[in-house]
Amino acid sequence: MKRILLVCGAGMSTSLLVTKMQKAAKERGIEVEIAATSGESIDKEIENVDVLLLGPQIRYKEDEFKKKYGDKFPIEVIDPMDYGMMNGEKVLDFALKLIGEK
Amino acid sequence: MKFNLEELQKKIMPVATSFSNNKYLGSIMEGLTSLMPVILVGAIATLLKNLPISAYQSFVTSSRVGNYLSVLINFTTDIISLLAVFLVATNISKKFDVDSPAAGLFGIISFLILTPLASIEKDGSVTNYISFEWLGATGLFVAILLGIFVGRLYAYLVQKGLVIKMPEGVPPTITKSFAGLIPGFIISALVLVIKLIFDNTAYGSIHKVIYTFIQTPLQGLGGTIWAFILVMFVAHLLWLVGLHGMLVAISVMMPIWMALDLKNLEAFNAGLSMQNVPGFAFLMCYTLLGGSGATLGLNLLMMFKAKSQRFKTLGKLAIAAGICGINEPIIFGTPIILNPLMAIPFILTPIVLSVIAYVATAIGIVPPLMGAMMPLGTPIIVSGILQGSWRIAALQVVLVLVSALIYYPFFKIADNNAYEEEVKPASERE
Repeated sequence: MKRILLVCGAGMSTSLLVTKMQKAAKERGIEVEIAATSGESIDKEIENVDVLLLGPQIRYKEDEFKKKYGDKFPIEVIDPMDYGMMNGEKVLDFALKLIGEK
Repeated sequence: MKFNLEELQKKIMPVATSFSNNKYLGSIMEGLTSLMPVILVGAIATLLKNLPISAYQSFVTSSRVGNYLSVLINFTTDIISLLAVFLVATNISKKFDVDSPAAGLFGIISFLILTPLASIEKDGSVTNYISFEWLGATGLFVAILLGIFVGRLYAYLVQKGLVIKMPEGVPPTITKSFAGLIPGFIISALVLVIKLIFDNTAYGSIHKVIYTFIQTPLQGLGGTIWAFILVMFVAHLLWLVGLHGMLVAISVMMPIWMALDLKNLEAFNAGLSMQNVPGFAFLMCYTLLGGSGATLGLNLLMMFKAKSQRFKTLGKLAIAAGICGINEPIIFGTPIILNPLMAIPFILTPIVLSVIAYVATAIGIVPPLMGAMMPLGTPIIVSGILQGSWRIAALQVVLVLVSALIYYPFFKIADNNAYEEEVKPASERE
């Protein structure tokens, strides 16, 4: 099963987005695991990840994460507008597209 | 203007990045934040012990419940520096890729070595004991500095290869326990030398020196409303270009803010008068109502006053998180970032709310905050009551209304724009 990991400052606002994405995936019948984590505890969550998405508020971590995990899976920042509107559909599409490109 | 903000973002990004990726600041902040459950337990015990109801008070005293609550306070709030040094030392060592509890343990040992023993004479025999004097908030800066020193040195020594190597076949656990041996000796010896030096000064201990020359002046500077406003201004400016400015601000200010809050918590427990200081508790309780930018007022406007479907939806979507002080949906969904219109209330509101709360405290409408450190996501009103008084919670409600008032004209413009966009026939849209 594909695994999508979202990360933000404390893993709180992303967890809301995760719920929306899970709903979107369920409606479409896509089997995918989606989880949220905080910037601090990311190292523990990184096993078997297929794509890592960053909340726009911690985009300054993008380079650090890319340096660390860039060769393992795609890493991108979520579009701020989609993030704000908690648009689970669009972020899910974004994630699946990134996995597809790998 | 929009262009300019994007330019600004490019310039600010590297600075913000270096701050938030700084290993030392990061270790301090993470270490201190891990103390939160401890401080909260201490704060609630303090609150339970000191509830200002006379019938309850006589019960607390006569049943000796108060004594037991005191024990709990003694071993949470009053030893906070001893816990802080462990966490900071462990974290910093981990950041430099040496993950071992030994770094934290030697942090504690070093802290205790440098803390002067007190002694009591009874029936001709002298008993030494560790006094709480420096273990609480007063010793916090020594704890942080020592944590950094010991943790960093430990990681350095281990990486230098100053460890006892075990032949192959020795169980890893044993190898690990011997690994800390030489660094431990070196650190202990160095700390003893530090103790020797400070013993021979007029101050008698490193605690007194650091407290007098570093902690007190920094608290004096950082504890003013002016410093607080300046920090809020910078933090919100960073948010406008899309960065988590509050994280950056907290990582720099946390040691000072926390020391100030803990002082108040100790004073509250001792029945002494508390200071009106904007620290971390103040930030969470009054300034960030609904999150950065104090957007809870804006969020309510969206829910109840929006004409546009977009803001109505966003308002409903964001309110539950907003009450708990999480507002990324509002920040990115409105959007507030890179939006010159919303920049004005976003910077202005938290500062106005802080000033109102500060003045209200100064003239005695509300008592100073007890200084309890709240977990992220503690809902408004609950967070007010946990600071020691229902009046604080009432002030929070007033401040939310003020926030709505400041945001109102700007919200109106944004909402009208969004509404016109929605009713415009599809053919006329770009």
